[in-house]
Amino acid sequence: MSTIAPFESRISSMAKQTQKCAAVLQGTLDMLILRTLLYGPAHGHQIGKHIQRTTNDFLQMQHGSLYPALHRLERQGWVISKWDTAPDRNREFKYYRLTEKGRKQLVVEESQWKQMAEAVARVMWPATEES
Amino acid sequence: MKWWQIRKRDADLERELQSDLELEEEEQRANGLSAEEARHAARRAFGNTTLIREHIHESWGWAPVERLLQDVRYAMRQLWRSPGFSIVAMMTLALGIGATTAIFTLVYDVMLRPLPFARPDRLVTIEEKVAEWSNLYPTLPVSANHFTFWQQHNRTFDSMAVMQQYSVPLGASGRALQVEALSATPGIFSVLQVQPELGRGFTADEAQRGHEHVAILTYDLWREQFGGDPGILGKTISLNGFPYSVIGVMPQSFHMPSIQTMDTFGTTNRPLPIGILVPLTFSKERLAEEMGDLNYFGLARLKAGISVAAANAELNALQHTIAANLPADEKATLSAEITPFQEKLVGNNRKALMILLAAVVGLLLVGCVNVTNLLLSRAVGQKRQMAVAAALGASRAELVRMATRETAALAVLGGGLGVLLAAVIVPSMQRYLPPALNFRGPLHLDWAGVGCALLLAVLATLAAGAAPAFMVSRTAPQEVLHSDSRLTSESLGSRRARRVLVATEAGVSVALVLMTGLLIASLVKLMAVDRGFTTERTITATVVLPSESYHDDQHRAAFYREVLERIGELPGVEHAAFTSVLPLTGDGWGDFARVAGDSRPVTQLPLESFRSISPQYFSAIGLRLTVGEMFGESDWGKNLALVSEKTAKSLWPGKDPLGQQFSRGNPATEKPFIVVGVVSDARTVSLAKPDPMLIYVPYWYRVEPMAGLVVRTHQNPSEMADVIRQTIWSVDRGVPVPTVRALGGMVADSVANQRFEMDLLLLFAASALFLAGLGVYGVLTYSLAQRYREMGLRLALGAQRANVYWLVLRDGLLPVAMGAIAGIAVAFGSARMVSSLLFEVSPYDPVLSAGAVGMLLAVGTIACLLPARRAAAVEPMQALRTE
Repeated sequence: MSTIAPFESRISSMAKQTQKCAAVLQGTLDMLILRTLLYGPAHGHQIGKHIQRTTNDFLQMQHGSLYPALHRLERQGWVISKWDTAPDRNREFKYYRLTEKGRKQLVVEESQWKQMAEAVARVMWPATEES
Repeated sequence: MKWWQIRKRDADLERELQSDLELEEEEQRANGLSAEEARHAARRAFGNTTLIREHIHESWGWAPVERLLQDVRYAMRQLWRSPGFSIVAMMTLALGIGATTAIFTLVYDVMLRPLPFARPDRLVTIEEKVAEWSNLYPTLPVSANHFTFWQQHNRTFDSMAVMQQYSVPLGASGRALQVEALSATPGIFSVLQVQPELGRGFTADEAQRGHEHVAILTYDLWREQFGGDPGILGKTISLNGFPYSVIGVMPQSFHMPSIQTMDTFGTTNRPLPIGILVPLTFSKERLAEEMGDLNYFGLARLKAGISVAAANAELNALQHTIAANLPADEKATLSAEITPFQEKLVGNNRKALMILLAAVVGLLLVGCVNVTNLLLSRAVGQKRQMAVAAALGASRAELVRMATRETAALAVLGGGLGVLLAAVIVPSMQRYLPPALNFRGPLHLDWAGVGCALLLAVLATLAAGAAPAFMVSRTAPQEVLHSDSRLTSESLGSRRARRVLVATEAGVSVALVLMTGLLIASLVKLMAVDRGFTTERTITATVVLPSESYHDDQHRAAFYREVLERIGELPGVEHAAFTSVLPLTGDGWGDFARVAGDSRPVTQLPLESFRSISPQYFSAIGLRLTVGEMFGESDWGKNLALVSEKTAKSLWPGKDPLGQQFSRGNPATEKPFIVVGVVSDARTVSLAKPDPMLIYVPYWYRVEPMAGLVVRTHQNPSEMADVIRQTIWSVDRGVPVPTVRALGGMVADSVANQRFEMDLLLLFAASALFLAGLGVYGVLTYSLAQRYREMGLRLALGAQRANVYWLVLRDGLLPVAMGAIAGIAVAFGSARMVSSLLFEVSPYDPVLSAGAVGMLLAVGTIACLLPARRAAAVEPMQALRTE
């Protein structure tokens, strides 16, 4: 029993970390994907690359969260997917497109994020608020 | 998303990941990496694609189902890989669950299924009790006089009715059909809360003498005999030779159990279902009889909220009033007994059914123990696998899940097979239903039975899978992984657990074997008991005379006489006789013999069973005359009588019974009987007990419309059946002959129920013994495989082969012997429950108990010998070298 403890504790602490990360990321990741799709349909790889590039590689895209997020969005009906041939290549990719419902959701998330950011800002930098 | 789309979705997902992965690879190559480096870089960037897929699957919401399917697939694969184990375990469970379900279905049908009437729990039967006759008849049917009084004065009953059931010929003479008629007072419809579907019930007027020729058909009889004629109402049918006007047809759902009163008790083993209802009427004389005519089956419906006890108390008070007003010469202590209808119908079948149920549950238990044992051995084998899983971070819950999925799959398969088995067995048990309860139509496996099977399967999983799961969940991985696999041996705890399991098996088996032995011994004794009459080359038939064409004793006697003459002339016939009651078909007519000079009130007189017979009766069934002689046809019209030895001893103690006189009823008006002979005591009412006091009177004194014919032949009696029917019909084509049977067959029929119980128990006991043997063998084989090196070492150090034999035998037989002792203790503990089913065998019978233990030990020894031989044949050098 005693030797199993290190295994157990290591595994459980790892599990806790990933869970925390995912929780923080999840809300914003959905928003970022929806925002990216506003430019037009894109496949998973493009979305990931776009976010990475736009943030100057600050946000490293984890494939392990990107694809589950895409499928979650699709389940919610915010995006729909379709296999299509890429314009520059002779290959098919799975393209995700924003739906009307997704657009509305983006507005909601955006305003929520804004409120959140402002609230955080007011706490962090009270002087700027006074000026 | 629907779960059957998962496969398609998954393929789609894989394609998506693959195409994006390739794209990543291409981009990496464009950055100047070599093909191989690019592939590795892309894979690194993507991470664990399987994990991604699993996460996405979770998001689809069908993960639990997928996990379950995965478990099922895994379990099936495991089972497929060791077919021997799987088949044995599955069959064991199927047998146990199937047999238990079948017996449960029987028990449920008989004891628990509500009777098919509205509010059946309110239905009760009423019986009378007369303290003076309680030694012979603990309870008696109801008298019309008392019933009328109760009906007028009770407050606790919603409604009440009395009834009688009898066979009558239906239809025109020449092709008369035998049907069962229920003759009941009009209250029956409100008691049962059922009304005819067509037409109406009986009116109060139709319950009066002279207006009673109306009949109500049951649905089945209406369909079968009258083609479902919608215009049947008002038509006339011939019943008992009389015209009856049909006034109603009962609904299809109406099924009435056969009711038994003194007259009909045991007349047939399998009565026909009731086909026709007619009003029961009483003559003025009947109604005036205050202490006679205890002939009717009483059925009543309690008012809402009234308990059985309260109603019984009221009825007892009414009985007290009746008793207080009895004339001096009929003084008696009266009371009444109320029993719920269903309980009354189940009667003394309860105990036998409970024992069968207990036995079959025992068999299931033995089966489960065996499966547990097998699973334990496998669990030990899978220890390393589990330890690896635990080391890789599988939670305890997951380990238990891994350990139980095989058991669960086994239970589902075994349970399914068990249900199939039960579905096959159940219909064949119909003929073993107690006659009174065999009225609901075909017996089949229903939801109650299937529910029982499912519950048993779940319980079996829990029972059989618990121990291995517990063991696995306590696996300490480092111990298992570090330890040298060659040296792993079974832990002390697990070994002890196995011994307890084997002991349990042995205990249950020995109890079952003992029980079966007791019942077999009982039945053997019952069949071998000195019946006092013979059955060889003897054939019987029953005849029912239609009461219109045979309305008085003279006509009936003339018919019987003519039939006897014609049968007597047939080639091969030795003796032919009529009797009012055939052997083993009941008590017959009970009455009081008043010895000349005795002036006690009627209720103080001894009660005897009367039979009216024709002269050759005793020779036909081989009953011996001890003194005197039989009356003959030449005595026609004379009041002569023969008495049994018991009667002679109690009526005329110490005197010569020959020539003594007695009378029935009032000696002033009745011509007395003269005793001309004494007949030896026998067992003609029931094989299980000596006959009560019997008095035989000539058939010309009292000629009943229903009689039994006994014919003793030189030939095989079965060849005579047709000849006898034809001979009876040559006298009158209109007389139904419902049954023609060999007397030997009737004797066998009278113990059919016991035989059924015995057969089933024998089957259960043999299966339990076999399983116990298998259990001992399995445990020993396994433990010896673990101790292979030990055996080699012992032999190398000089142990003799005989010592090894002895070691193994002791190891195997010790738990068996302990279990056997426990089993005998359990059997003795429940002896009181069993003893009433036994005949002249003590439940503590030492020979049978020793036999049961001996049989188990023999089976155990056989099961030990094979592993013991293998152990003794171990080559020491080889065993010690095996690494």
